[in-house]
Amino acid sequence: MREKIIYIFAAAAAVLLVRNLYVILLVLPDEAQQGPIYRIMFFHIPSAITCFIGFLAAGISSAIYLATKNPRNDAIAVASTEVSLAFATVVLATGSIWARIIWGIWWTWDARLTSMLVCWLLYASYLMLRRAIDEPTQRAKFSAVLSIFAFSDVIIVWKSIEWWRTQHPGPVLSIRTGGGQMNPAMEAAIYWNLLALILFGLVLVLVRLRQEEMRREIDGMRQMAHAI
Amino acid sequence: MQQTKQRGAMSWVGDVAVIFGKDLRAELRTKEALNASLSFALVILLLFSFAFDPSSEQTHDIAGGLLWIVYAFAGTLILNRSFVRELPNDCLDGLIAAPIPAWTLFLGKSLANFVLVLAVELISLPIFGIFYNVRWAQQGWALLLVLALTTWGLTVVGTMFSALTVNLRIRELMLPILIYPIMIPALLGAMEVTGPLITGKPLEGDLLTWVRLLVGFDIIFTSLSVALVETVLVG
Amino acid sequence: MVEARNLMYMFYGFLAVWVILVAYVVSLAARERNLKKELMRVRSLIDERERAR
Repeated sequence: MREKIIYIFAAAAAVLLVRNLYVILLVLPDEAQQGPIYRIMFFHIPSAITCFIGFLAAGISSAIYLATKNPRNDAIAVASTEVSLAFATVVLATGSIWARIIWGIWWTWDARLTSMLVCWLLYASYLMLRRAIDEPTQRAKFSAVLSIFAFSDVIIVWKSIEWWRTQHPGPVLSIRTGGGQMNPAMEAAIYWNLLALILFGLVLVLVRLRQEEMRREIDGMRQMAHAI
Repeated sequence: MQQTKQRGAMSWVGDVAVIFGKDLRAELRTKEALNASLSFALVILLLFSFAFDPSSEQTHDIAGGLLWIVYAFAGTLILNRSFVRELPNDCLDGLIAAPIPAWTLFLGKSLANFVLVLAVELISLPIFGIFYNVRWAQQGWALLLVLALTTWGLTVVGTMFSALTVNLRIRELMLPILIYPIMIPALLGAMEVTGPLITGKPLEGDLLTWVRLLVGFDIIFTSLSVALVETVLVG
Repeated sequence: MVEARNLMYMFYGFLAVWVILVAYVVSLAARERNLKKELMRVRSLIDERERAR
Protein backbone atom coordinates (compact mmCIF):
# COMPACT_ATOMS: atom_id res chain seq x y z
CA MET A 1 0.00 0.00 0.00
CA ARG A 2 2.73 2.41 1.11
CA GLU A 3 4.86 1.44 -1.89
CA LYS A 4 1.98 2.16 -4.23
CA ILE A 5 1.36 5.59 -2.71
CA ILE A 6 5.05 6.44 -3.04
CA TYR A 7 5.07 5.48 -6.73
CA ILE A 8 1.81 7.28 -7.51
CA PHE A 9 2.96 10.48 -5.78
CA ALA A 10 6.38 10.31 -7.40
CA ALA A 11 4.83 9.90 -10.84
CA ALA A 12 2.41 12.75 -10.23
CA ALA A 13 5.24 14.99 -8.98
CA ALA A 14 7.37 14.14 -12.03
CA VAL A 15 4.57 14.87 -14.49
CA LEU A 16 3.73 18.11 -12.72
CA LEU A 17 7.36 19.22 -12.63
CA VAL A 18 7.83 18.61 -16.35
CA ARG A 19 4.63 20.48 -17.11
CA ASN A 20 5.67 23.34 -14.81
CA LEU A 21 9.15 23.57 -16.30
CA TYR A 22 7.57 23.85 -19.74
CA VAL A 23 5.24 26.63 -18.58
CA ILE A 24 7.92 28.46 -16.63
CA LEU A 25 10.62 28.34 -19.28
CA LEU A 26 8.69 28.48 -22.54
CA VAL A 27 5.20 29.89 -22.00
CA LEU A 28 5.64 32.71 -19.51
CA PRO A 29 7.38 35.84 -20.83
CA ASP A 30 10.39 37.51 -19.19
CA GLU A 31 9.57 39.89 -16.42
CA ALA A 32 9.94 43.51 -17.54
CA GLN A 33 12.40 44.69 -14.86
CA GLN A 34 14.28 41.57 -13.88
CA GLY A 35 14.61 39.67 -17.14
CA PRO A 36 14.73 35.87 -17.19
CA ILE A 37 16.25 35.59 -13.69
CA TYR A 38 12.85 36.14 -12.09
CA ARG A 39 11.97 32.52 -13.00
CA ILE A 40 14.03 31.39 -10.02
CA MET A 41 11.10 32.60 -7.93
CA PHE A 42 8.99 29.69 -9.22
CA PHE A 43 11.21 27.34 -7.26
CA HIS A 44 12.33 29.69 -4.51
CA ILE A 45 8.92 30.57 -3.05
CA PRO A 46 7.36 27.08 -3.24
CA SER A 47 10.51 25.59 -1.65
CA ALA A 48 10.25 28.05 1.22
CA ILE A 49 6.59 27.20 1.82
CA THR A 50 7.29 23.47 1.57
CA CYS A 51 10.13 23.66 4.06
CA PHE A 52 8.05 25.55 6.61
CA ILE A 53 5.19 23.07 6.29
CA GLY A 54 7.77 20.36 6.98
CA PHE A 55 9.24 22.11 10.02
CA LEU A 56 5.77 22.69 11.41
CA ALA A 57 4.89 19.03 10.86
CA ALA A 58 8.13 18.02 12.60
CA GLY A 59 7.32 20.24 15.60
CA ILE A 60 3.77 18.90 15.93
CA SER A 61 4.92 15.34 15.49
CA SER A 62 7.62 15.85 18.15
CA ALA A 63 5.05 17.16 20.60
CA ILE A 64 2.83 14.15 19.87
CA TYR A 65 5.83 11.89 20.40
CA LEU A 66 6.43 13.34 23.86
CA ALA A 67 2.78 12.82 24.71
CA THR A 68 2.37 9.29 23.35
CA LYS A 69 5.97 7.94 23.13
CA ASN A 70 5.01 6.28 19.87
CA PRO A 71 8.23 5.80 17.85
CA ARG A 72 6.30 6.40 14.65
CA ASN A 73 5.96 10.08 15.53
CA ASP A 74 9.68 10.34 16.07
CA ALA A 75 10.23 8.84 12.63
CA ILE A 76 7.83 11.37 11.08
CA ALA A 77 9.65 14.20 12.86
CA VAL A 78 13.09 13.22 11.64
CA ALA A 79 11.90 12.44 8.11
CA SER A 80 10.17 15.76 7.63
CA THR A 81 12.99 17.73 9.27
CA GLU A 82 15.56 16.20 6.98
CA VAL A 83 13.54 16.76 3.82
CA SER A 84 12.68 20.30 4.90
CA LEU A 85 16.33 21.04 5.48
CA ALA A 86 17.04 20.01 1.89
CA PHE A 87 14.34 22.42 0.72
CA ALA A 88 15.70 25.14 3.02
CA THR A 89 19.07 24.68 1.33
CA VAL A 90 17.35 25.14 -2.02
CA VAL A 91 15.76 28.35 -0.73
CA LEU A 92 19.10 29.77 0.41
CA ALA A 93 20.97 28.75 -2.75
CA THR A 94 18.38 30.01 -5.23
CA GLY A 95 17.91 33.21 -3.23
CA SER A 96 21.65 33.83 -3.33
CA ILE A 97 21.85 33.31 -7.08
CA TRP A 98 18.90 35.62 -7.65
CA ALA A 99 20.44 38.26 -5.35
CA ARG A 100 23.73 38.16 -7.28
CA ILE A 101 21.94 39.47 -10.37
CA ILE A 102 19.33 41.76 -8.87
CA TRP A 103 21.26 43.22 -5.93
CA GLY A 104 24.76 42.58 -7.27
CA ILE A 105 25.76 40.64 -4.15
CA TRP A 106 25.48 37.01 -3.09
CA TRP A 107 24.29 37.76 0.39
CA THR A 108 22.85 40.61 2.39
CA TRP A 109 21.73 40.71 6.00
CA ASP A 110 18.17 41.35 5.06
CA ALA A 111 15.49 40.19 7.48
CA ARG A 112 14.30 37.15 5.58
CA LEU A 113 17.74 35.95 4.55
CA THR A 114 19.01 36.15 8.09
CA SER A 115 15.96 34.41 9.54
CA MET A 116 16.19 31.65 6.96
CA LEU A 117 19.85 31.10 7.81
CA VAL A 118 19.11 30.90 11.54
CA CYS A 119 16.33 28.44 10.77
CA TRP A 120 18.72 26.33 8.72
CA LEU A 121 21.28 26.31 11.55
CA LEU A 122 18.65 25.33 14.13
CA TYR A 123 17.50 22.29 12.20
CA ALA A 124 21.02 21.33 11.18
CA SER A 125 21.81 21.14 14.90
CA TYR A 126 18.75 18.89 15.30
CA LEU A 127 20.21 16.38 12.85
CA MET A 128 23.61 16.64 14.53
CA LEU A 129 22.08 15.88 17.92
CA ARG A 130 20.45 12.78 16.47
CA ARG A 131 23.76 11.48 15.21
CA ALA A 132 25.33 12.03 18.63
CA ILE A 133 22.89 9.79 20.54
CA ASP A 134 22.94 6.03 20.04
CA GLU A 135 20.13 4.84 22.28
CA PRO A 136 16.87 5.07 20.23
CA THR A 137 14.43 6.06 23.00
CA GLN A 138 16.75 8.70 24.36
CA ARG A 139 17.46 9.99 20.87
CA ALA A 140 13.76 10.29 20.12
CA LYS A 141 13.03 12.04 23.42
CA PHE A 142 15.87 14.54 23.29
CA SER A 143 15.44 15.42 19.66
CA ALA A 144 11.71 15.93 20.21
CA VAL A 145 12.55 18.45 22.95
CA LEU A 146 15.01 20.20 20.64
CA SER A 147 12.49 20.27 17.81
CA ILE A 148 9.93 21.99 20.04
CA PHE A 149 12.54 24.51 21.20
CA ALA A 150 13.65 25.10 17.63
CA PHE A 151 10.17 25.74 16.31
CA SER A 152 9.36 28.19 19.12
CA ASP A 153 12.65 29.89 18.39
CA VAL A 154 11.93 30.20 14.68
CA ILE A 155 8.84 32.26 15.50
CA ILE A 156 10.78 34.58 17.84
CA VAL A 157 13.67 34.84 15.39
CA TRP A 158 11.35 35.80 12.58
CA LYS A 159 9.71 38.55 14.65
CA SER A 160 12.92 39.90 16.17
CA ILE A 161 14.89 40.06 12.95
CA GLU A 162 12.03 41.88 11.34
CA TRP A 163 12.33 44.52 14.10
CA TRP A 164 16.08 44.57 13.66
CA ARG A 165 15.78 45.37 9.98
CA THR A 166 12.96 47.87 10.25
CA GLN A 167 15.16 49.72 12.70
CA HIS A 168 17.91 50.08 10.14
CA PRO A 169 16.20 50.18 6.75
CA GLY A 170 18.70 49.08 4.10
CA PRO A 171 18.70 49.99 0.42
CA VAL A 172 17.78 46.44 -0.51
CA LEU A 173 14.34 46.66 1.02
CA SER A 174 13.00 49.14 -1.56
CA ILE A 175 13.73 46.62 -4.30
CA ARG A 176 11.73 43.99 -2.47
CA THR A 177 8.70 46.21 -2.23
CA GLY A 178 8.99 47.13 -5.92
CA GLY A 179 7.43 43.83 -6.98
CA GLY A 180 3.86 45.06 -6.88
CA GLN A 181 0.98 43.03 -8.18
CA MET A 182 1.80 39.78 -9.84
CA ASN A 183 0.55 38.63 -13.20
CA PRO A 184 -2.16 35.99 -12.54
CA ALA A 185 -0.52 33.51 -14.94
CA MET A 186 2.74 33.79 -12.99
CA GLU A 187 0.99 33.42 -9.68
CA ALA A 188 -0.76 30.30 -10.95
CA ALA A 189 2.62 28.88 -11.99
CA ILE A 190 3.88 29.39 -8.45
CA TYR A 191 0.94 27.45 -7.03
CA TRP A 192 1.37 24.64 -9.55
CA ASN A 193 5.00 24.32 -8.67
CA LEU A 194 4.16 24.46 -4.97
CA LEU A 195 1.90 21.46 -5.49
CA ALA A 196 4.66 19.66 -7.39
CA LEU A 197 7.27 20.33 -4.71
CA ILE A 198 4.95 19.35 -1.87
CA LEU A 199 4.21 16.06 -3.64
CA PHE A 200 7.92 15.52 -4.23
CA GLY A 201 8.68 16.36 -0.59
CA LEU A 202 5.98 13.94 0.54
CA VAL A 203 7.55 11.16 -1.50
CA LEU A 204 10.93 11.87 0.10
CA VAL A 205 9.39 11.90 3.58
CA LEU A 206 7.66 8.57 2.94
CA VAL A 207 10.87 6.99 1.69
CA ARG A 208 12.79 8.35 4.67
CA LEU A 209 10.03 7.07 6.97
CA ARG A 210 10.38 3.59 5.55
CA GLN A 211 14.10 3.72 6.20
CA GLU A 212 13.51 4.72 9.80
CA GLU A 213 11.17 1.75 10.20
CA MET A 214 13.73 -0.53 8.62
CA ARG A 215 16.32 0.71 11.08
CA ARG A 216 14.01 -0.05 13.98
CA GLU A 217 13.46 -3.52 12.61
CA ILE A 218 17.22 -4.04 12.39
CA ASP A 219 17.67 -2.85 15.98
CA GLY A 220 14.96 -5.26 17.14
CA MET A 221 16.52 -8.15 15.24
CA ARG A 222 19.91 -7.35 16.65
CA GLN A 223 18.53 -7.57 20.16
CA MET A 224 16.96 -10.89 19.23
CA ALA A 225 20.30 -12.12 17.93
CA HIS A 226 21.88 -11.15 21.23
CA ALA A 227 19.16 -13.00 23.13
CA ILE A 228 19.84 -16.18 21.17
CA MET B 1 3.74 13.65 44.95
CA GLN B 2 1.90 13.08 48.23
CA GLN B 3 4.94 14.14 50.13
CA THR B 4 5.01 17.47 48.33
CA LYS B 5 1.40 18.02 49.25
CA GLN B 6 2.06 17.32 52.90
CA ARG B 7 4.85 19.83 52.99
CA GLY B 8 2.59 22.59 51.72
CA ALA B 9 2.02 24.32 48.44
CA MET B 10 5.02 26.63 48.58
CA SER B 11 7.57 23.98 49.51
CA TRP B 12 9.02 24.06 46.00
CA VAL B 13 10.60 27.39 46.87
CA GLY B 14 12.57 25.58 49.57
CA ASP B 15 13.58 22.80 47.16
CA VAL B 16 14.80 25.32 44.61
CA ALA B 17 16.71 27.19 47.31
CA VAL B 18 18.44 24.00 48.51
CA ILE B 19 19.62 23.09 45.00
CA PHE B 20 20.61 26.69 44.34
CA GLY B 21 22.66 26.87 47.56
CA LYS B 22 24.28 23.50 46.94
CA ASP B 23 25.40 24.40 43.41
CA LEU B 24 26.66 27.81 44.40
CA ARG B 25 28.63 26.44 47.37
CA ALA B 26 30.13 23.65 45.29
CA GLU B 27 31.28 26.12 42.66
CA LEU B 28 32.60 28.70 45.11
CA ARG B 29 34.68 26.06 46.90
CA THR B 30 36.62 25.06 43.81
CA LYS B 31 35.95 28.08 41.55
CA GLU B 32 36.89 25.84 38.60
CA ALA B 33 34.30 27.01 36.10
CA LEU B 34 34.29 30.57 37.43
CA ASN B 35 38.04 31.03 37.00
CA ALA B 36 38.05 29.39 33.58
CA SER B 37 35.16 31.55 32.43
CA LEU B 38 36.70 34.77 33.74
CA SER B 39 40.11 34.22 32.22
CA PHE B 40 38.47 33.19 28.97
CA ALA B 41 36.49 36.45 28.95
CA LEU B 42 39.68 38.43 29.53
CA VAL B 43 41.48 36.67 26.70
CA ILE B 44 38.69 37.38 24.23
CA LEU B 45 38.58 41.03 25.32
CA LEU B 46 42.32 41.19 24.64
CA LEU B 47 41.93 39.49 21.25
CA PHE B 48 39.26 41.96 20.19
CA SER B 49 41.71 44.81 20.76
CA PHE B 50 43.79 43.39 17.90
CA ALA B 51 40.78 42.99 15.65
CA PHE B 52 39.39 46.48 16.20
CA ASP B 53 41.11 49.77 16.96
CA PRO B 54 40.20 50.14 20.65
CA SER B 55 40.23 53.93 20.68
CA SER B 56 38.16 54.59 17.56
CA GLU B 57 34.57 55.80 17.64
CA GLN B 58 33.53 52.86 15.52
CA THR B 59 34.52 50.42 18.24
CA HIS B 60 32.14 52.18 20.60
CA ASP B 61 29.34 51.55 18.15
CA ILE B 62 29.96 47.82 18.11
CA ALA B 63 30.81 47.63 21.82
CA GLY B 64 27.44 46.08 22.70
CA GLY B 65 27.98 43.32 20.19
CA LEU B 66 31.54 42.62 21.35
CA LEU B 67 30.46 42.45 24.95
CA TRP B 68 27.73 39.90 24.28
CA ILE B 69 29.98 37.70 22.17
CA VAL B 70 32.35 37.58 25.13
CA TYR B 71 29.51 36.83 27.56
CA ALA B 72 27.96 34.14 25.37
CA PHE B 73 31.27 32.31 24.98
CA ALA B 74 32.37 32.69 28.58
CA GLY B 75 28.93 31.74 29.90
CA THR B 76 28.96 28.45 28.01
CA LEU B 77 31.95 27.31 30.05
CA ILE B 78 29.93 27.64 33.25
CA LEU B 79 26.81 26.07 31.73
CA ASN B 80 28.83 23.14 30.46
CA ARG B 81 29.96 22.32 33.99
CA SER B 82 26.52 22.61 35.55
CA PHE B 83 25.42 19.01 35.04
CA VAL B 84 28.81 17.47 34.25
CA ARG B 85 29.81 18.26 37.82
CA GLU B 86 27.16 15.81 39.03
CA LEU B 87 28.53 12.87 37.03
CA PRO B 88 31.28 11.58 39.38
CA ASN B 89 29.96 9.35 42.17
CA ASP B 90 26.58 9.15 40.36
CA CYS B 91 25.43 12.37 42.02
CA LEU B 92 23.06 13.05 39.11
CA ASP B 93 21.19 9.79 39.69
CA GLY B 94 20.92 10.71 43.35
CA LEU B 95 19.52 14.12 42.51
CA ILE B 96 17.00 12.67 40.07
CA ALA B 97 15.94 10.07 42.63
CA ALA B 98 15.48 12.75 45.31
CA PRO B 99 11.84 13.37 46.25
CA ILE B 100 11.61 16.71 44.46
CA PRO B 101 10.11 17.40 41.04
CA ALA B 102 12.66 17.64 38.22
CA TRP B 103 11.70 21.21 37.44
CA THR B 104 12.69 22.44 40.92
CA LEU B 105 16.08 20.82 40.38
CA PHE B 106 16.22 22.61 37.04
CA LEU B 107 15.20 25.99 38.46
CA GLY B 108 17.70 25.72 41.31
CA LYS B 109 20.50 24.93 38.91
CA SER B 110 19.42 27.69 36.52
CA LEU B 111 19.44 30.23 39.34
CA ALA B 112 22.92 29.17 40.45
CA ASN B 113 24.18 29.41 36.87
CA PHE B 114 22.46 32.76 36.52
CA VAL B 115 24.30 34.16 39.54
CA LEU B 116 27.64 32.78 38.35
CA VAL B 117 27.32 34.01 34.76
CA LEU B 118 26.09 37.40 35.95
CA ALA B 119 29.09 37.62 38.29
CA VAL B 120 31.46 36.95 35.38
CA GLU B 121 29.68 39.63 33.38
CA LEU B 122 29.79 42.19 36.15
CA ILE B 123 33.49 41.59 36.74
CA SER B 124 34.45 41.79 33.08
CA LEU B 125 32.30 44.86 32.39
CA PRO B 126 34.57 47.38 34.21
CA ILE B 127 37.63 45.72 32.67
CA PHE B 128 36.04 46.16 29.28
CA GLY B 129 35.37 49.80 30.16
CA ILE B 130 39.03 50.37 31.00
CA PHE B 131 40.44 48.52 27.99
CA TYR B 132 38.19 50.20 25.46
CA ASN B 133 37.78 53.55 27.17
CA VAL B 134 34.00 53.21 27.45
CA ARG B 135 32.11 55.00 30.25
CA TRP B 136 29.57 52.24 30.68
CA ALA B 137 28.14 53.32 34.07
CA GLN B 138 26.09 56.28 32.80
CA GLN B 139 22.98 54.14 32.47
CA GLY B 140 24.00 51.68 35.17
CA TRP B 141 20.59 50.48 36.33
CA ALA B 142 19.14 50.09 32.87
CA LEU B 143 22.25 48.18 31.86
CA LEU B 144 21.90 45.92 34.89
CA LEU B 145 18.28 45.21 33.95
CA VAL B 146 19.27 44.24 30.40
CA LEU B 147 22.15 42.13 31.68
CA ALA B 148 19.86 40.30 34.10
CA LEU B 149 17.09 39.71 31.54
CA THR B 150 19.41 38.42 28.85
CA THR B 151 21.50 36.34 31.22
CA TRP B 152 18.39 34.64 32.55
CA GLY B 153 17.33 33.74 29.01
CA LEU B 154 20.78 32.39 28.21
CA THR B 155 21.10 30.40 31.42
CA VAL B 156 17.65 28.84 31.12
CA VAL B 157 18.34 27.61 27.58
CA GLY B 158 21.90 26.69 28.54
CA THR B 159 20.95 24.75 31.67
CA MET B 160 18.22 22.89 29.80
CA PHE B 161 20.60 21.77 27.08
CA SER B 162 23.34 21.11 29.60
CA ALA B 163 20.93 18.58 31.14
CA LEU B 164 20.12 17.21 27.70
CA THR B 165 23.72 16.73 26.58
CA VAL B 166 25.17 15.54 29.89
CA ASN B 167 25.03 11.86 28.94
CA LEU B 168 26.43 12.25 25.44
CA ARG B 169 29.96 11.26 24.51
CA ILE B 170 30.60 14.57 22.78
CA ARG B 171 28.70 16.88 25.14
CA GLU B 172 31.32 19.64 25.08
CA LEU B 173 30.97 19.79 21.31
CA MET B 174 27.19 19.49 21.17
CA LEU B 175 26.28 22.14 23.75
CA PRO B 176 27.50 25.21 21.80
CA ILE B 177 26.09 23.83 18.54
CA LEU B 178 22.67 23.43 20.14
CA ILE B 179 22.41 26.56 22.24
CA TYR B 180 23.88 29.36 20.12
CA PRO B 181 21.27 29.15 17.34
CA ILE B 182 18.48 29.14 19.93
CA MET B 183 20.04 32.07 21.79
CA ILE B 184 20.21 34.23 18.65
CA PRO B 185 17.07 36.32 19.31
CA ALA B 186 18.10 37.05 22.91
CA LEU B 187 21.65 37.92 21.90
CA LEU B 188 20.40 40.09 19.05
CA GLY B 189 18.10 42.00 21.40
CA ALA B 190 20.79 42.38 24.03
CA MET B 191 23.32 43.66 21.50
CA GLU B 192 20.86 46.18 20.13
CA VAL B 193 20.11 47.63 23.59
CA THR B 194 23.53 47.35 25.20
CA GLY B 195 25.29 49.39 22.52
CA PRO B 196 23.22 52.56 23.02
CA LEU B 197 23.07 52.11 26.82
CA ILE B 198 26.85 51.91 27.08
CA THR B 199 27.25 55.15 25.20
CA GLY B 200 24.84 56.87 27.58
CA LYS B 201 21.50 56.85 25.75
CA PRO B 202 18.49 56.40 28.05
CA LEU B 203 16.29 53.29 27.89
CA GLU B 204 13.28 54.52 25.92
CA GLY B 205 11.48 54.40 22.59
CA ASP B 206 12.83 51.75 20.21
CA LEU B 207 15.08 50.29 22.87
CA LEU B 208 12.04 49.24 24.89
CA THR B 209 10.95 47.01 21.99
CA TRP B 210 14.10 44.98 22.52
CA VAL B 211 13.54 44.79 26.27
CA ARG B 212 10.07 43.42 25.51
CA LEU B 213 11.65 40.87 23.20
CA LEU B 214 14.01 39.80 25.99
CA VAL B 215 11.14 39.46 28.45
CA GLY B 216 9.18 37.42 25.91
CA PHE B 217 12.18 35.17 25.23
CA ASP B 218 12.64 34.60 28.97
CA ILE B 219 8.99 33.74 29.57
CA ILE B 220 8.67 31.40 26.58
CA PHE B 221 11.84 29.44 27.20
CA THR B 222 11.48 29.32 30.98
CA SER B 223 8.02 27.80 30.66
CA LEU B 224 9.07 25.43 27.87
CA SER B 225 12.06 24.24 29.91
CA VAL B 226 10.06 23.80 33.10
CA ALA B 227 7.47 21.82 31.17
CA LEU B 228 9.94 19.59 29.33
CA VAL B 229 12.79 19.09 31.80
CA GLU B 230 11.05 16.12 33.39
CA THR B 231 11.21 14.20 30.07
CA VAL B 232 14.86 15.08 29.65
CA LEU B 233 16.05 14.11 33.14
CA VAL B 234 13.68 11.33 34.15
CA GLY B 235 12.01 10.17 30.94
CA MET C 1 25.96 41.29 -22.16
CA VAL C 2 23.89 41.89 -19.07
CA GLU C 3 21.05 39.88 -20.62
CA ALA C 4 23.29 36.88 -21.23
CA ARG C 5 24.54 36.91 -17.66
CA ASN C 6 20.98 37.19 -16.40
CA LEU C 7 19.97 34.14 -18.42
CA MET C 8 23.08 32.22 -17.31
CA TYR C 9 22.29 32.84 -13.67
CA MET C 10 18.72 31.71 -14.19
CA PHE C 11 20.09 28.38 -15.36
CA TYR C 12 22.50 28.31 -12.42
CA GLY C 13 19.49 28.79 -10.16
CA PHE C 14 17.58 25.90 -11.72
CA LEU C 15 20.73 23.82 -11.68
CA ALA C 16 21.16 24.54 -7.96
CA VAL C 17 17.61 23.36 -7.24
CA TRP C 18 18.19 20.08 -9.02
CA VAL C 19 21.71 19.50 -7.75
CA ILE C 20 20.60 19.92 -4.13
CA LEU C 21 17.49 17.78 -4.45
CA VAL C 22 19.24 15.08 -6.47
CA ALA C 23 22.11 15.05 -3.97
CA TYR C 24 19.58 14.43 -1.21
CA VAL C 25 17.87 11.68 -3.20
CA VAL C 26 21.25 10.05 -3.85
CA SER C 27 22.07 10.16 -0.14
CA LEU C 28 18.68 8.61 0.59
CA ALA C 29 19.34 5.83 -1.91
CA ALA C 30 22.76 5.19 -0.41
CA ARG C 31 21.25 4.90 3.05
CA GLU C 32 18.57 2.58 1.73
CA ARG C 33 21.26 0.32 0.26
CA ASN C 34 23.24 0.29 3.49
CA LEU C 35 20.15 -0.48 5.53
CA LYS C 36 19.19 -3.36 3.24
CA LYS C 37 22.69 -4.78 3.48
CA GLU C 38 22.57 -4.45 7.26
CA LEU C 39 19.16 -6.14 7.36
CA MET C 40 20.49 -9.09 5.37
CA ARG C 41 23.52 -9.37 7.60
CA VAL C 42 21.51 -9.38 10.82
CA ARG C 43 19.00 -11.81 9.34
CA SER C 44 21.72 -14.29 8.39
CA LEU C 45 23.29 -13.81 11.83
CA ILE C 46 20.02 -14.81 13.48
CA ASP C 47 19.63 -17.82 11.17
CA GLU C 48 23.15 -18.94 11.95
CA ARG C 49 22.67 -18.71 15.68
CA GLU C 50 19.32 -20.42 15.49
CA ARG C 51 20.87 -23.33 13.61
CA ALA C 52 23.77 -23.51 16.03
CA ARG C 53 21.43 -23.83 18.96
